[in-house]
Amino acid sequence: MSAASPAGTRRPSVLAQVATYAALLVVTMAVLYPVLLVCKKAFEPGRQFALSASPMPRDLTLDHFRDLASAEGPHGELLFLRHALNSLVAALATTVVGVVLSCTAAYALSRFRFPGRRAGLTTFLVVQMFPASMLLLPLYVLLDRMGMLNSLVGLVLVYATTAIPFCVWTLKGYFDSLPKELEEAARIDGAGPWRVFFTIMLPLARPGIAVTALFSFMTAWNEFIMASTFMTDETRYTLPVLLQSSVGQYSADWGLFAAGAIVTSLPVMALFYVLQRSLVGGLTSGSVKG
Amino acid sequence: MIGRRLALAAALAAAAAAAPGCSPEREGGVVLWHTYTNGERAALEQLAEEWNRDHPDRGLTLVAVPYDAFADKLTSAIPNGNGPDLFIYAHDRIGAWVDARLIEPVEFWVDDELADRFDRGALLPLAYEGSLWGLPLGTKSLALFYRTDLVATPPRTTDELLALAPAARAADRYALAYANTELYGHAPWLFGYGGAVFDDAGELDLATAEAAAAGAFARTLVADGVVPADASVQLVATLFNEGKAAMALSGPWFIGDIADGVPWQVTTMPVVSATGEVAAPFLSAEGVLMSARARDKEAAFAVMDHLTSDGAAIVRARRAQQVVANRAAYLEPDIGDDPVLSTFRAQSAHTVPMPASPTMRAVWRPYMIALQEILRGADPGDALRGVEHEVRTGP
Amino acid sequence: MTRADSIAPRAATAAPRHRAQLRDWAVATALALIVASAAFFVHRNREFREREEHRAHAAAVAVARGEPPVSPVDAAGVVSPATPSPRYPFLRQRTFQPVGEAAPRALGGPCAPALDKLVYDAATRFDATGPFKGFLPDGSGRVVAAVAAPGTPGGVAVAVSTPPSGPEPYPWLTFVGLIGLGGVIAAAGALLGAWRRPTLLALGASGLAVPTLFWTGPWPAAIIVGLTTLVATASARGATDRWAEALRAHRVALAFLAPAAIAMAILVATPFIAGLVLGFYDHDAGSWTFVGLDNFGHILSGGGKGFDDPGNFWFVLGVTVAWTAVNVVLHVALGVALALLLRQPWLRGKGVFRMLLILPWAIPNYITALIWKGMFQSQDGAINSLLDYAGLGGDVSWFSSWSTAFTANVVTNTWLGFPFMMVVALGALESIPRDLYEAAEVDGASPLQRFWHVTLPHLRPALGPAVVLGSIWTFNMFNVIFLVSRGEPGGSTDILVTQAYRWAFERDEYGMAAAYATLIFLILLLWTVFGTKVTRKEGTP
Repeated sequence: MSAASPAGTRRPSVLAQVATYAALLVVTMAVLYPVLLVCKKAFEPGRQFALSASPMPRDLTLDHFRDLASAEGPHGELLFLRHALNSLVAALATTVVGVVLSCTAAYALSRFRFPGRRAGLTTFLVVQMFPASMLLLPLYVLLDRMGMLNSLVGLVLVYATTAIPFCVWTLKGYFDSLPKELEEAARIDGAGPWRVFFTIMLPLARPGIAVTALFSFMTAWNEFIMASTFMTDETRYTLPVLLQSSVGQYSADWGLFAAGAIVTSLPVMALFYVLQRSLVGGLTSGSVKG
Repeated sequence: MIGRRLALAAALAAAAAAAPGCSPEREGGVVLWHTYTNGERAALEQLAEEWNRDHPDRGLTLVAVPYDAFADKLTSAIPNGNGPDLFIYAHDRIGAWVDARLIEPVEFWVDDELADRFDRGALLPLAYEGSLWGLPLGTKSLALFYRTDLVATPPRTTDELLALAPAARAADRYALAYANTELYGHAPWLFGYGGAVFDDAGELDLATAEAAAAGAFARTLVADGVVPADASVQLVATLFNEGKAAMALSGPWFIGDIADGVPWQVTTMPVVSATGEVAAPFLSAEGVLMSARARDKEAAFAVMDHLTSDGAAIVRARRAQQVVANRAAYLEPDIGDDPVLSTFRAQSAHTVPMPASPTMRAVWRPYMIALQEILRGADPGDALRGVEHEVRTGP
Repeated sequence: MTRADSIAPRAATAAPRHRAQLRDWAVATALALIVASAAFFVHRNREFREREEHRAHAAAVAVARGEPPVSPVDAAGVVSPATPSPRYPFLRQRTFQPVGEAAPRALGGPCAPALDKLVYDAATRFDATGPFKGFLPDGSGRVVAAVAAPGTPGGVAVAVSTPPSGPEPYPWLTFVGLIGLGGVIAAAGALLGAWRRPTLLALGASGLAVPTLFWTGPWPAAIIVGLTTLVATASARGATDRWAEALRAHRVALAFLAPAAIAMAILVATPFIAGLVLGFYDHDAGSWTFVGLDNFGHILSGGGKGFDDPGNFWFVLGVTVAWTAVNVVLHVALGVALALLLRQPWLRGKGVFRMLLILPWAIPNYITALIWKGMFQSQDGAINSLLDYAGLGGDVSWFSSWSTAFTANVVTNTWLGFPFMMVVALGALESIPRDLYEAAEVDGASPLQRFWHVTLPHLRPALGPAVVLGSIWTFNMFNVIFLVSRGEPGGSTDILVTQAYRWAFERDEYGMAAAYATLIFLILLLWTVFGTKVTRKEGTP
């Protein structure tokens, strides 16, 4: 525990420092190990996993990536590109819709006092408690009635509403932590509520919004059950569906799966890397001060 | 307030209307869903191209659906009128789909001459409750794969199989690997010993002495170190590829899983020495089935007929090494003499079709649990009675 | 807020009273119109179905008697009994004698007319189930009926018809007339004032109840009268005024909330309510039967199984709670510990460590779960190989006993889940002023004391909500259980969501699955109400 003791003012003993580095290294290795196994499979020939604990591939090949990139649809479309594009469009649109909807809602819940506010707040938390797999069939019928099956618009709306509860909670906490003085000053200067929201609150809440955006993006980017159920046209699938296709009834192409897993994970990893500073602040500061 | 709500709703509606492809363009065409990948997919696409070249007015559109999503997608799509006109699937879900009125009987269009096209064993599983529900493409069943570098002559009886074990153990490998905790993998022993899941009248009958003997045999295989305990399908492939298992029970799909450079052959199942019967795996007949809400049923049947024609079967056998259902295909020398295809076709004569009744769906999981218990030492009779009780009373 | 005080005097003046009466009448009428329309559609569909089924049935009966059908049909005639093919008993020959044609024709064959197939299938269905009438399941809107044809032994009389006209049109005129009349009555009420105002309001809006009496009986009418009376009572007591004023006062807040609220109401609340309702139904082969609380009774009584049986709800609940608790504790412990390590000011490579440690969060969890499943393979799986290498024995059969299978699940989910807690803890630690530690150090507090008295109190408010969220996610963590242990051995590591899934998609018992889902929801709701209370109490000093 002494190595883990929170920042003291003095530098601790060499032993404690070594222990800290050792502990971090061990955990990091444990974290990286499964990732390395995926990389190994992605670059190793053959469809099956090799029986070995070593994360080093025996042979190197780019076949799996080539297979992934060259998969063709019924009319010779390059499925990988299509699916990647669909995923990107769906994820970006979900991010925009999710952020817009949750920013406004979180602002209302944070700054206004009105009857039903607490109930509304609770509702946003409560709705994610119903197991998603049970909502699939009703959602299917609903999207069908609205004419939004087999369309990215329907998928985006569903993803956005899935992401909203978490986003609203996070953002509400973040808004709570922001000082009210600036808004009041602006209001005295005659700015309307929308103007205050856009010109003062949103710029201030950037870290919180970044977290929300990241979360919305991930929700849409990683989802495959709805995407494979709601889309009835192969060119409208998303990347995770392509990944799902590599696992068949009797046998699976794990090489293709691993290659797909890496390609699918990279953009999200990149986003995490870019946004990691905001992530640390955006997720927490609300609940700390609020 | 209300005005703004309306404006938003209108905006949403407009966005929905403007979205490209909200209504699928399937006017006048036939849509077929399948789960095929690789060779099977390529063969199917070739056949679809042929069809579309000859019938531009009734084009066939193929949609590949991931296997995991397939059944759920079908049951949500068809009743809402969004489903395919045709789809390709194994016969074992027909019972449930007939009960839910999702699929269309096709015997109206079929006469004896058309039916004669197929191996009886491939066609009969597609009949259920006195009607025919599709035309068969091919069959899938387990057979015995062996590494020619490790096994000179494959065992023809289970006694021979057991006799291979000591040498294999000495070389630090298993004589055989198969998915022994799943009923599908265990089925060859079950039926080879004369056990059953349902009796001839279709009543549940799985706790017989024969079935218990099959369970005891599976346990012996593990206890004597002939096969690895709780092997998944995936592990079987890996063990075989790495030479840690000299033989494997698997199906045609296994060929794609075998690594480059592994010398292998496939042969039919051994005879169960205790009964003198050939170990009989489950057979699944893969067929083209028609949705009850197919838009143009005549056109859909014409496509079905085309995909299961002798010419199409030859394409599928050659390009995808599919164990096709058409008898005429095997008259082609390259197909009839293909060691893999002829082995699986010979094996299909000694198989038990997977039951198509909806009750079967409730059997798989309890049976798997019972097998795990048996392999760990539970009494087979007790375990199977437990399965029967659970299936009868519901979980 | 100041406006709320000014409402009372204004409400007393005469002119706005009329406006209030109009408004409340409009609200009551809108409610009544929704109910009346629903009643109309129920009535219309039933009436249409009965009429068209009767039409087809009458045609079939006429054909059976050898008479021409009484109304126009697409096809009608007598089908001969089936002659099964000797080789394929499921291929049956039939002939069809259409009404008014001289000779019968064979049914079926590759190029037969489409209509013939309907006749052929109707005869097959008759053979299986006896006489029937009903709409075709092909979505074409046609009706088919079959009865025995006494003239031909074993023959079946079949009629297929297309409804000559669509169902009854929406009764615009009736509704507009009734609404207009109601408006006049309500206006009269406003003029007369006093007790007559709400009475005539209710009366005016209840007019829509009258046609529903003829359509679907007393229930919708009673609902309409009840709703309008409710609105009228609220109006009489000034409640509607207060609501309207509240809406006006909070219109900015509501406008901010509206986009999310509308989207959630449509896309989350609707399926959610559907899910709740389905829990009261039994599903069998595509048809639903209302069974009241039977599903819940079956689940809560454990389905007649012992408490040590994985099929018993209470066993699964116990596993789920253990699963959630163990995971959340491990996530928080590991997350906080790592956050504390990463906070050391002298630590180099902080950014790299942090980035690598967040990695599991960035990888889709189904990918993670499948990898770990492979790693826990008993034959030379990665974990066993590592254990073997470390001399700890490498032949653990992970999924054949409960404790090892559960451990495998927990290890996987801990790998997945700790980064979230770590990030939350990192953020919370950053907000702790350094001088607090300096002060503590000056006071001679030991590192443990500093952690306990300085760090922990600052972590708690941030970790509280994170724990509530994390526990909800873990409670419903489907992918890990479903893909790693798959419930093995014997379903004993299944949690409630995977059980619900099995009910729905392995046994087609959607009703039971929905009931399971509802129970999951209720349990989590209780936990949140309890959980948020606890965190709030501790969070506010």
